[in-house]
Formats: sequence, structure tokens, C-alpha cells
Amino acid sequence: MSGPAAVITGVGLTLPDSVGDVTDLFDVSASERGLFDREAGLRGRGMRHKDRASRLALRAARSALGDAGLLDAETFTGPAERTAVVVSSNLGNLDSVCSFVDIIARETVTGLSPLGLPHTSSNAVAGWVAIQYGLRGPNVTVCNGSTGGLDALFWARTLVAARRSDVAVVVGTEPDTEPVARLLRQQDSGPAFDGAVAVVVESAEHARHRGVRARGVLAGYARARDLSAAITAARGLDPRPVQLLDAETFTTRFGYCCGALGVLQCAAGATRLGRDDIDAVLATIGTAAGAEAAAALLLARAEGVA
Amino acid sequence: MTGRRVLITGLGAVCCLGTGVEAFWRGLCAGGGHAEPLADPHAHMRSPLMYQVPLPDVPAEPRRLGHVRLGAGPRMGVAAAHEALTDAGLDPQARRRLSVVLGVELGNADMHERRRSSAATRVDPRRGSDEVGALSCPEDGGRWVPLTVTAPAVAAALGATGGAVSLGDACAASGYAVGFAADTIRAGAADVVLAGGAEGISRVSVGAFNRLGAADPVRCRPFDRHRRGTVFGDGAAMLVLESAAHAASRGRVPYAELGGAGWSCDAYHPTAPEPEGRQVVRAMRDGLAEAGLAPEDIGAVVPHGTGTPLNDAVESRALRRVFGDRCQRLPLLSLKAMIGHTGGAAGAFGCLAAALMLRHGRVPASPPLEDPDQECAVFVPQQASVPLSPSAVLVNSYAFGGNNVSLVLAGRQGPR
Repeated sequence: MSGPAAVITGVGLTLPDSVGDVTDLFDVSASERGLFDREAGLRGRGMRHKDRASRLALRAARSALGDAGLLDAETFTGPAERTAVVVSSNLGNLDSVCSFVDIIARETVTGLSPLGLPHTSSNAVAGWVAIQYGLRGPNVTVCNGSTGGLDALFWARTLVAARRSDVAVVVGTEPDTEPVARLLRQQDSGPAFDGAVAVVVESAEHARHRGVRARGVLAGYARARDLSAAITAARGLDPRPVQLLDAETFTTRFGYCCGALGVLQCAAGATRLGRDDIDAVLATIGTAAGAEAAAALLLARAEGVA
Repeated sequence: MTGRRVLITGLGAVCCLGTGVEAFWRGLCAGGGHAEPLADPHAHMRSPLMYQVPLPDVPAEPRRLGHVRLGAGPRMGVAAAHEALTDAGLDPQARRRLSVVLGVELGNADMHERRRSSAATRVDPRRGSDEVGALSCPEDGGRWVPLTVTAPAVAAALGATGGAVSLGDACAASGYAVGFAADTIRAGAADVVLAGGAEGISRVSVGAFNRLGAADPVRCRPFDRHRRGTVFGDGAAMLVLESAAHAASRGRVPYAELGGAGWSCDAYHPTAPEPEGRQVVRAMRDGLAEAGLAPEDIGAVVPHGTGTPLNDAVESRALRRVFGDRCQRLPLLSLKAMIGHTGGAAGAFGCLAAALMLRHGRVPASPPLEDPDQECAVFVPQQASVPLSPSAVLVNSYAFGGNNVSLVLAGRQGPR
């Protein structure tokens, strides 16, 4: 892809405490991974009248922006009009929609809470993140099934390459609500992921101008009908050996991550590049069978990126 | 970015005006359609009006994607996509390589709502009389019916393997989809992309706007002093976007060039537009700049124009800031007064109308305003169509969350 290269300059996690120590996957500090009283952090100022997906996302976004050096206390210090928000979530507002369907059938629309209405729109999470930090660039929501997280990173990269944005906050968020739990039981998909992850994607020149470290560069991405084709296309002619970040590792550890999966993989990769002489990581979603969409994202060390 | 030019070479549509692009244009020139009450027995609300696709125009196929039964929205999306690809004359190889980028807000919502309200006792003919009363959905094996199946359903029906993407940017979704599709082509990642949107009927959406006091009980009346909100419509609009080089290699004559797009976010309020319209103005100016056009190069505007009191006032003021006094003679097509607010498909319908206006060189007359709002100092032709000159059209699309996108379409003889 032509245009400015897109690098990762910040990572933020809001993971369930129950997953325990994740330092084997994420080489991040405690503050970055959200090792705080998580439920308390999802309440209070700025969290009222928001659905769980939005609250989880706001915590992760805050950590990522802080990690990228783009926050002064709670104030965003980057280029607001050139900062995008890209959110991937498939089940984020399922609880709101189910609840509204029930209420309208049972009580008519007069039973609906106007404060909850925004959450029937799938882009509510992206809207809240933009409002919280005054981010006025492109605001995008991807509802794209299992590959949504990697797709969101691709769109962020495209926004940077097209010079529509200098910075993009990419968030993957999936809440463990009652309708989600019921859905996953029906699908026999195992336990739900209940968390959010955010990465800050930035044009390489903007990061360099700010003097911040690039954790990695988004070097390749592809979607295909089967995984081998996606991997081949994403790697292109890059000769470097890669460490594989396959979907199963994360799903086994964190539950059914759904739209957050690809962002989780990318966050893990970004924090590990350079450690143990890892030059490149490859995040993969999908199977060789081609029954569902497959995607692959190549993340490489950023040294020398123009 | 490669700077490759992006052309629109195929169109497809299903809406309250009927099936097909010809029916759409004919319907616009005849003054548009009419809103009718929903036949949904659970639509417990003051104003259950929608501009609805006539029942015979709702395709019966495809019924499923995998285990998922498809509602009217995805099925109309497939029909419009087939029309657009046929219109573009794409060969089988190009169809296989095709990427699909759709903006869909409601998606398969009618299927979801039906399951959720499975204790229904009345029959809704639009939704399938044999299925409304079912207490469970044994046909699905008890499995979930996801909302966002439209893009993969369209890709599967077309045999397109270049990736299917669903954008969920609420009512600006397909406007964003068209912009993304163009960026994908400009980046050299694709030669041909199908972009658009498709929406069925959703009780939740109509109900939510009722609860907000933003559902007009009469009809959709953008820029009228007595407007009381929007009125939704269902349907699908699809556009084939193609690099200029690829279109030239096939000898295709485009409808228009997608010259530029401007994107912004109000970052102000989850549902209300920012009153000063600063980011709306920025999106329009950025779109014009990317297209290399000045405001005086634009011959008409398809505004977002929903009929909600605040949106129309803010957008009118923003147009005034961009176009100045020329607003008094710059014709607007009040599309939502003719086909309703088609939700996530609205931006694509705006582009569809713009492409046809460029092809025909005219701006159709919009339904008469009974009492033009002085707060909305814009020109909406109502008596007769007017010539389109210069040959370029600006399309605005906005959404909850403050998502704004402005797209600039230029004709073949346009200023560029």
C-alpha cells in the first residue's frame, strides 16, 4: 500500500482479572493492562449511562492513548481533527437491542429509556470514545465477524495511508452480557470474552515528529477464503521469519473474543516485537478449510520505517 | 495512495419506488413515494410510518446464508448488487475478484426482532406468514441469527472472493462504505469494489425515533417549518466503483467520477448534531478539496436532510457557510422526502441519485414544502426539474455519534 507507513505507538488492555498473569502474551506494564479494580474503573465519572461495551472500550482507549503519550491527565494532546476512531465489535450492543425489542413489544415505546437509545446504534462505542477525547477525524465501526479486529487495523492503516488521519485509535470490545452468554451457549462457543483492547495506530512520520517510539509497523494484511492464501498475501515478499499469533491461543486463554480478537493479537504482537529477537509477528484468524473468512496481519519491527 | 481516479460504472436499486435503477429515476421524477403504516403487530408506537418497498418487489431469494435465514434487507441487497454488476458489464473473472464493502445498520434486524417477539399472534405479510407465530425457530436449529450478514450474503450470491466488509456507522454507514471503497481502489488494493447499503424494516429503529420524538406522523418533510422528525424507508442501493484504468480497458462509459470524500466526527453528543455544524462544514470542504473543486463547481446537493428539526437547520447553516449566497439558487434534491430515510443505505442512495442526475443532466423536483422553514435558507426545486450545472454533485450523509461524510461526484464533462 502506498502512502505513509502506519506504526503502533500505544497499547491498552481492559482484561478480566480472572485471566491472571498475561505477561507471556503481553509485554506491558501493569498500568497498561489495566491491573486495577476493574469494575470500579468501569463506574464513576464519564461512565454513566453507557453500555458495558462502551465502558470497557473507554478504559482501554484511555490506557492506549496514555501509553502513546497522547494524554495530559484526561485531555487528548494529539491532532484532534486528524485522529480517527475505528471500533470492531460484533456483540457490543446486543444487550441494548434485545432489551429494546422486548420493551417495545411489552410496554410500547414509552417504556424505552431515552438515555439508552444511542446504544441501539452499532457505532455508539466509537461515538463515546470520540466524545470523551474530542476526536474529530473519521469515526468508523466495523461489524465484520471473527476477522473484524484485523479488518479494523487494516482500515486504520488505510486511513493513514490516504492521509485522512495522522492517528487512529483502534478498539476491539466485546462484553459478557446475558444475551451474549445465551448466544455463545447456543453456538457452543465456550465462555465469552469480557473486555476491550486498544492500540494507537499512527503515521510513521507523525510518530517520529512527536519523538515517540514505534512499537511496530503494520506491514501487511490480507483477507481470503482460506488461511494459507491470506498468510501468503499478507507476507508478500517479506523474507523475515515470523512468530505466529494464532487465534486459538487467544480464544483458549480469554474466551470467545469475537470482534476484539484481531486487536488483541495485534496488541500482543506490538508489545513483543524486539523482545527475544522477534522481528515480525503474524496474526491469523480462520482455517485452511475455507468455511469462514480468513485474515492475516503482518506486524514488523519499525526500525528504519520511512 | 496511488492517486488513481475512481469511477462509478454500475448501479442497482430497490426501494419504495420499485425495483431497478430505471424505476428509481422514474419515481424521483414523478415526485417520489408515500409513507404507510407498518403491518407489524408489535409496532406499539405513535407513528409507525415507513416508505416501504412494495411487497412484490421484496425478493424471495436468497433465503439463507449458511444456517442464517435472510430477511428482506439482505435479499434486497443481493438483488440490487446483481443489477449493479450487470449494469457494469463485469466479466466472470472480475466478479470473482470483487470486494464488497457495505454500510449496514439494521441488517437482518427483522429476523432478529421476529425471533425475539415469537409470541406473536397476528400475521405480518411482509415477514412471512408461516413464521411470525413460531415460538422457536427450529429451522435454524435453535442457532443465533446475526445482524450483520448482508455483506457476506451479497458476496456469496455474487461469487465474490475479494472480501466482504460490513461497516456499522449508523445512518452514515454506506456513505462511509463508498468512501472506503474509493480509498481501497486509490491505494491499489483493488480495481473494482461493490459499495452500497441495504436495510429492511426494523421496529427498534422506528420505535427509538418515536421515543426520541423524532418520528414525523405525517410524512418525511425536510426543510419544512412543520417537520416533526424523520420517516424511515427500506431498500438497497449498490454502486460499482472501478479504477479509471480498469474501466478504460473494458471500454466502459462511467456514470460519474467519485472525485473526493471528506470525513469528520462531531465528538459532541451521542445523538444530537453539534449546533454550529463545524465538522459538517469541514467534511464538505475536505470533500471538495480532495476532488479539486471549488464550491462554485458544484451544481446540486443531495443533503442528509432527514426532517428532524435540528439536523435540517444545522445542515442548512453549514451549506450556507460553504456555498454562501449561492445557496439561494443551488438546487437540493430532498431525497428522504421521496424514499424516506433509508438508514445505513442512505448515503449510497444519495450517491445513486447523484450519479443519475449527472447522467441525465437534471435535478428532479422534490415534493412540495407546505411551509418552507426560514431557518433553512436553501433552494429545493418543487415545481419542475431544473438543469444540473455545473456537472458535479455533493452528497452529505450523517449519523448518530456525530459521524459525517461528504462525497463529491463529478460528471464526465465536469469541471475537472
